Amino acid sequence: MKGAVIRLLLLMVLLAIISRAQVLRADSGTPVMLAAGALLLCGLFAGKVAKGLGLPRLTGYLLVGVAVGPYALGFIPNAGVKGLELVKGLAVSLIALVAGTELRLGLIRRVGARVALLCAAVCGVTFLVCFGATFAIKPFLPFLADMTVPQALAVSALLSTVVVSFSPTVTIAIVQETSARGAFTEFLMALVIIGDLLVMVAFALAAGLTKASFGGGLDVTELLGGVGWELFGSVAVGLVLAVGMLVYMRGVKQELPLFLVGLCFAAAEGGTRLHLSPLLVALAAGALIANLDEHAGERINNAIQQAGLPVFALFFAAAGAGLKLDSLLTVGPAAMLLVALRGVAIWFSCRRFAPADDPRLKRYLWMGLISQAGVTFGLAALVSRTFPTFGPQVEVLIVAMITAHELVGPVLTRRALAASGEIRADDAQGTA
Amino acid sequence: MQALLVFLSIAALSLLASSRALDPGRFPALARLAASGFLFVLLGIFLGPSVAGVLTERHLEAMRPVMALGLGTAGVLLGLNLEPRLLRLLPRSVYLSGLAHSGTAFFFVALPLLVPLVFTSARGLLGAVGAAAMLGAAASLSSGHSAVLAWRAGRLDRARGLGVALLTMLDDAVGLGVLALALMIGAASNVGEGLGLVCLALLLGVMCGALLAFLTHSLKDLAELTTVTLGGVVLVSGAAAYLRVSPLLAGVACGATLAVVGGRTSERVARALGRVERPVFLVLVFLVGCAVHARDYWAWVLMPAFVGLRFLGKMLGGRFARRLVQQTLVLPPRLGYALIAQGGLALCLVAEYGMLVPGGLSRRVLDVVVMGAVVNELLAGQAFQYVVDPPRGISETSADSDKVAA
Repeated sequence: MKGAVIRLLLLMVLLAIISRAQVLRADSGTPVMLAAGALLLCGLFAGKVAKGLGLPRLTGYLLVGVAVGPYALGFIPNAGVKGLELVKGLAVSLIALVAGTELRLGLIRRVGARVALLCAAVCGVTFLVCFGATFAIKPFLPFLADMTVPQALAVSALLSTVVVSFSPTVTIAIVQETSARGAFTEFLMALVIIGDLLVMVAFALAAGLTKASFGGGLDVTELLGGVGWELFGSVAVGLVLAVGMLVYMRGVKQELPLFLVGLCFAAAEGGTRLHLSPLLVALAAGALIANLDEHAGERINNAIQQAGLPVFALFFAAAGAGLKLDSLLTVGPAAMLLVALRGVAIWFSCRRFAPADDPRLKRYLWMGLISQAGVTFGLAALVSRTFPTFGPQVEVLIVAMITAHELVGPVLTRRALAASGEIRADDAQGTA
Repeated sequence: MQALLVFLSIAALSLLASSRALDPGRFPALARLAASGFLFVLLGIFLGPSVAGVLTERHLEAMRPVMALGLGTAGVLLGLNLEPRLLRLLPRSVYLSGLAHSGTAFFFVALPLLVPLVFTSARGLLGAVGAAAMLGAAASLSSGHSAVLAWRAGRLDRARGLGVALLTMLDDAVGLGVLALALMIGAASNVGEGLGLVCLALLLGVMCGALLAFLTHSLKDLAELTTVTLGGVVLVSGAAAYLRVSPLLAGVACGATLAVVGGRTSERVARALGRVERPVFLVLVFLVGCAVHARDYWAWVLMPAFVGLRFLGKMLGGRFARRLVQQTLVLPPRLGYALIAQGGLALCLVAEYGMLVPGGLSRRVLDVVVMGAVVNELLAGQAFQYVVDPPRGISETSADSDKVAA
């Protein structure tokens, strides 16, 4: 670990020199590649340091991103971090593709109904608790204070829908890192994925209601059409991609990692342009492949593990660099209250509603549901764009919550997997 | 979206390049362009703003970081090839020989073309001198891939193949030296500041190279080594692009430092980087092609002169070079014909010049060199026939045969 610390410090010294040298230049160029290289290298060695400290590598990636990013030491400019959006989309698609290959029909039959019920219970309880708390602190939240009661109820519902969301990305990355396998891991992964689908539908409904409460009218057809397109359109596009992948894997027997990276890149970019969910597109593709051809699913898993190390290190370090630490100061108390209430609600609903046949689910499952990342960021940005009058303030609050959850969530997820006894190796090659 | 477009274009061309349509037996010229990557230049010209307009100037501006990455990668690979032990072993006559063929081509192109550049330049004599020097630098470069391929195919003996390859490696130094001079003249408001920027690029490269050597020193896992290597290359390219200095020069300094201080690590790094060399090169030449302004009629006027003068320079330079190393290196008769292919570094030089030196003149230099390089690549196939099958009357001397046998 000492070697990794020295290397990390040297990297940071070099970044400090580059940052100082830039001040001397009258004009500066684009910082995107600098951000990519710096975050990749820092993330990699910070991951090693974190592992040495008994933390998930992912936490190391996130923390070093925060440290060198624009909101702490400022070695990497904000424009550089924003320019890495493309990498974020790519990483989400790759992670979802791996997760999809785990979704076998047998697993869905075995745990599908129980997972769906528990997911509904956890999301429902968490939503009610956060909704009640947000409405109760209405006078203390500047963006809610001047609203009418129906408007405040609608906005509270919208905010709470986003607050409920989980992070399949973080969960899958930690599962990959630890090579965890078993009933508990399957249950956790299925729950965060189904939870995400549930949140997508609920968010569309809450956004429609909020628009109506502000006099925008409620167009049910448009609302359902939008949700339907995002869900079913994503699945349909994912199925097409799966066929493409299978044809490639059977016809061309080489350069699979490169092909998958290219395809996921196209899925992420194209999916966003078509208002589809890149996560769902890749998830559906992975699931279809694994169920049609088990061997092909394993090949995809292995190929992504080869290409995964740089993509994951860069993705999570960039996510860390994008965390607005200053937002923690401005909306800190409200955000911390919601973080605490969300945690308690998830813990309570898992204790109360988790299937009794596996006591590990009652005891440890809640820890795997704390993380929030990409999906929540996306929904917060959508709130900001859709409701320009109050949306940006809601976004700041949600980002403050994500910051807290990103720092705590991965550690808790790994602890849950460790406590369940399903971790096989603590350092799976080439993953998070 | 532009990145997606570039990716899809290149994927489509890769499929085309691997198809039967490019069978060397049926379309030798097209197959040669595909193999050398110059087909991607043509695709870039076609899709770029001046022809089909699929990619606009705005798209190209957004793709600048990718171009910087390509230049930095090329630089690092070039620097890694500088084997200090080998360079020390080479006798002085080999260096003189390399200088002779590249220097002759440089002067044959730079001096005559300075005249029209002075008359069309809005940046005065100094700007025209810089542009003419860049044309000369691009002309001085040759690619040794034909010789190496001919040797591997058994059409050229090993000693001659490697001799040509060695000479073409040495001319890279001339090209890079001239680039540094041209950037000093053109990339800043005065020569002193230009010199400072070149030094900053080299210093940045040295620091990144030393750090990369240390970072990769004890890495055993191949995936980690590849990741750190890629990260180091992206860092040096990105830092150079951010500070608006030359990614190519910074990359060369990084690679050379790594080669000097890295020991065996540098070999592993070179192998790891070799895995991404081809895709990065193809993307780079595609973007260089996009930057060509095919409707610049002055460039079309200058291009035949560039190709013709370079041809003459290489013929004469080849003779000088052969005469200088008669005692130490085995070279094929009619060496000049083996030096016609221009290679990717010429494109890197003018792309770098175009990125860092503002104005129409640097753009014209890019247009002339890129189009000229495509023509030279097509000519090189025919020209190399004279090297492997020399006409009657040109035969090996007995001394040559003895050296080959040795």
